[in-house]
This record gives sequence, structure tokens and C-alpha cells, in this order.
Amino acid sequence: MSKMKLTGLILGLIGFTLPLIVSFPGLSLAGHFAMSIFLLAAVFWMFETIPIYSTSILVIFFQVILLSAEGFIDYSAIDYSPLPYTQFIATLADPIIILFLGGFVLADASVKYDFDKSMTRLLLRPFGSRPKFIILGLMLVTAVLSAFMSNTATTAMMITVILPIIARMEPGDPARIGIALSIPFAANIGGIATPIGTPPNAVVIAALNQQGMQVAFSSWMMYALPLAIVMLFIAWQVLLRLYPPAVESVTLDLSGKLKKSKNAIILYATFGLTVLLWVTEGLHGIRSSIVALMPVAVLTLTSVFEKQDIRKLPWEVLWLIAGGIALGISMKETGLAEWMVGAISWDQFGYLMLLAVFGAVALTMSNFLSNTVTASLLIPLAISLVTSGLLDGVAGMLMLGLVIALGSSFAMVLPISTPPNAIAVSTGMVQTKDMISSGLIIGLIGLVLILVLSVIYWPFII
Amino acid sequence: MEKKIYILVVEDEPEVLDSIVRDITDFEALFPIEMADTAEEARELIRSIIDEGHSVGLILCDHVLPGDNGVELLVEMQNHEDTHHTKKVLITGQAGLQETVRAVNDADLKHYIAKPWEKDKLVSIVRTLLTDYVLEFETQPLRYMQVLDGERIADHIRTSGKLTDS
Repeated sequence: MSKMKLTGLILGLIGFTLPLIVSFPGLSLAGHFAMSIFLLAAVFWMFETIPIYSTSILVIFFQVILLSAEGFIDYSAIDYSPLPYTQFIATLADPIIILFLGGFVLADASVKYDFDKSMTRLLLRPFGSRPKFIILGLMLVTAVLSAFMSNTATTAMMITVILPIIARMEPGDPARIGIALSIPFAANIGGIATPIGTPPNAVVIAALNQQGMQVAFSSWMMYALPLAIVMLFIAWQVLLRLYPPAVESVTLDLSGKLKKSKNAIILYATFGLTVLLWVTEGLHGIRSSIVALMPVAVLTLTSVFEKQDIRKLPWEVLWLIAGGIALGISMKETGLAEWMVGAISWDQFGYLMLLAVFGAVALTMSNFLSNTVTASLLIPLAISLVTSGLLDGVAGMLMLGLVIALGSSFAMVLPISTPPNAIAVSTGMVQTKDMISSGLIIGLIGLVLILVLSVIYWPFII
Repeated sequence: MEKKIYILVVEDEPEVLDSIVRDITDFEALFPIEMADTAEEARELIRSIIDEGHSVGLILCDHVLPGDNGVELLVEMQNHEDTHHTKKVLITGQAGLQETVRAVNDADLKHYIAKPWEKDKLVSIVRTLLTDYVLEFETQPLRYMQVLDGERIADHIRTSGKLTDS
């Protein structure tokens, strides 16, 4: 076991034990147990003592044992009515998890039939041969795909597209670095555009749902898509300035055909229809998680997506999200979240200041931690700020949620910040220092833009 | 301790051995290269590599050696579980048809390189075979991307789901 993991193990156990032996005034007994679970999860997630999805499962396990009506603790004598354990395990089938399941099935089926590659070739055609516009094209295509598929798989696919381009360029051409950075950056940015773009969105949306706020697929896109588009152009410009292409033209091999087998056609049609129904949720009102069941049903009943494909789905990501959702439930139900935010006198902060603090913390944390973990740790605190009356209103809660989700996605400073960053650095085309300078600029601009939107845009459309 | 994937080069002529190792030196940063001039020495090296918890990903082996010949060594490795998956390559001028057939049938020979070889070809064969090995047996192929076939590794990540959003 590495030193890092061992430190995490020791700190995690200390964190877990602390609330069991120390009594915090103003916090209920259940709140103490919830704090044990919170501290253990936070430390294990941060130090990756065990895989992050295992920590999520552990959270649900401890909640069932320590906090549920069927658990080992007898709460009958105290003023706390424990939730049935089904509430905790039901997070595994939360509507947002089902939405993601639909997205995963579509994404994996697309990979199976090379739909992602064919789309890329098709979409890149209009961008010509000037390096400047090729980079823009690569970024737009990456962002579009990563809005509906995993950022990681999109990056990996796009890397197969750019490696031959880079190989044909002069070794000294700065644009090689620019191109290699453009892919992960665009994937990180594209992930914010839709609810299924990236897991932190799921954690935030699920937490808002539990407050009785339905966030429609189309509404999320209204909030986040404009930002994604602006950020893409900014990232493009930043990379062009830092790494100006040395040549006038670059050749792009876009040969290859769209698969036309019966299965492939069924996939294209299902994909198109699902996305259409998702983005028009505001018009027809059918919930996106219900729509998500359609591709799962159609693709499996037609054997486009088979048993071995189902087994290959990234189930651990669903567990990771479920653990994040479950943690939020117990922190809210036991009063822990409220107790924690009550410890700081937030009324000294202005409203914008508060958003800025959460945004900056999310951005900083998720540069070092998983984006989903960051969102899972921050969103319960943000929600209780609102429910405890420190902040008002539905709009405030939604905006705080957006700030957290978007802030964690704009963390792209280090190779460890996101898997797409890790892939880009692994190609050997990019040094970590290049990623730090450009990632920092883009992250900070992103944070400022989030705050600008929360003043001039979101309040008027929520 | 980190598990390493070794490249083993078996060749009895020192100049030839040097020249092979020089040609594939770009891989050495991630795949330590071990050299032996007889089958017996190769066996000892393999044993110590395996004992330390590492593996042999690739062997480049001459056929004519003092003592046991190269094909015998390769067949023996094929029949041993620790080295069964090692990618096996003959690099030789003097293996007859019968012995070569034996290497193909009984040692799952991946490539026959005739001496004298071209550096680019050798490098490309080594790159392909090590990429095969890494994609089959490594859970984290990403770290090898730089020296191996990056496109294949990226495509493997795309299709295998070994790396996911977090």
C-alpha cells in the first residue's frame, strides 16, 4: 500500500471514529453517524484509499446499517425518524441514474458500430485544411460528442484522429501541443452542455430533484449550453495564441464509410430519436429519464445491444453517482448539512460572493479530485444553505447547483484533473507545464463567466 | 513495487547483440531490456525476472547458440505458464525450415526476422508485439502510450471501458 493510501486509511478511520466518541453540541445522534460516514467518504475519496466507486458503495452500506429504520441503531427513544433502508438503496435506480444508463447504452452501442467515428469524419469535413479551423473543428466535434457520450471515450476516440495529424507535422510546430490540448479541453467543456454530459451534472440534478425541483433536459441545456459554446471559442483562442500553428495547411484523412447494416441503422434511428426527445423535453414534457428507457428497450430487444455489451457498461460510474446522491440524502435528513453550514456566518457574504466561493472551491477541489466526488461533497452543503433560509429561493438553489457542477467540470489544470487530461498527457505530445498554464487560464475565465451568467442570464430564465 | 514488463534479447555474438539493443533502445524507458548469450543464461534471467514479480513481454532470440538452440528455448517458454504469453520472435540467419516450422507450431512464433534486419522494421515489429502484450495483459495501458502504438491504445480505451469518466 502506498504512503498516500495508508495516510488516507488512517485519517479515514480517525474521521469515522471521531463523531462516535466526541459529542458535537447542536447535532443529533443520527447527525453524528452521518458525520462519521461523511468524513470517511471524504477522506477515502480524496486519498483514493480504495477505488472511488467502492467508497460510494461503502457510503450506502453504512447508511443502511447506521441510519436506516432497519439498521442496527435503535432511534425509537430519540426525536429522529430514520428513513427506510429502501430509500438509500433506491439511489441506485434514481431517475438520473436511469437517464445515465440510457446514455451509456447509446454511447456504448455507438462505439460498437463506430457511429462516433463516422460522425466525427462527417462533422469534420466542413473545416477545410487550415490548422486554425481544423483545431476549431476538432474542438466542436469533441464537445458535441462528449455532451452525449463519456468525455473519456470521446477523448480516446479523438486521439486516434489527431495522432496521425500530429505525426505529419514538423516536430517543432507549437500547434502539435495546441491540438493535443484542444481535445481534452473540449471534452471537459462539452460535458457541461447536457445533464448526461458528465457525472457531476447527475449528482447536482439528483440533489435538486430531492428538493422537489425537476430540471428538464432542455432547461439544463438552456442554462449550460451557451456557456459551453462561449468557453469553446475562448479555449480555442487561448490555444491558438499560446501555440500558434507554424504551417498553412494540414491534411486530414477523413476516409471511411458509415456502417449500413440493419443493426447500425436501428442504432442511428434510436440515437437520433432519443436525443431529439431529450432536447425537446420542454415542449412535450416527457421526462428525460423515461425517454432514456426507450433506447435501452429498443436496442436490447433488437439485439443491437447484446448481453456481453450490457456487461461491459460502466456500472461503477453509476455506483459512484449513487453514492454521491445517497450521501446528500443522509446529510440532509439527519440535519448534518444544516449543522455544518450553520457553523459559518454566511450572512456576511453577499449573494454573488457565496456563488464565487462555491465556484472557486469546486474548481480547486476537482483539479485534484474526481469531478463527481467534488460535486458530491459540495452539493449537500449548498442545498442546506438554501433550505435553512440563509439563501432564498428556487433560483438561488439552482444557481448554486450549476456553479458547483460547471465549476468542477472546468478543472483541467493537471493530468490527474480528469481522465481526458490524463489521456492527452500520455500521448507524450503535451508536457504537464503546458497543461497547467493553458488549463489555468481557461479555468479562471470559466469561473468568471459562470459568475457573469449568474448575474445577467440565469436569473432571467429560471 | 511496480510490475515491469521486460524485453529479453538472446544472441551469442556481442556485436550483433549490441546492435539489436541499440535499435530498440527507445523502448527501454518503459520496458527494461535484459541480455543473454546462451539459452541457459536466458533461463536464469527469466527465473529472476519472474521471481521478482515482473514479466517477460517479448523475447528476441537468435537460433544458433552455444548449448541449447533458440527454438528449443522458445518452445520451452511456450510450455511454461510464466512465459506462455511472452511474444516470441526469432532473429536469425540460420534456422532451417524444419526448426522454423517447429517454432511456429510449438512456440506460437510471432515473427521471423532474417538477418541482416532493417532497424525500422525491427522497431515496428517490437512496437506491434509489445502493444499486443500490453493491451492483453495490462489494466492500465495508458502509461505505455508514448512509446507504443498510441492509436491502438487510444482505440482500446475507447472500446474497452478501462478508463471512464469520474
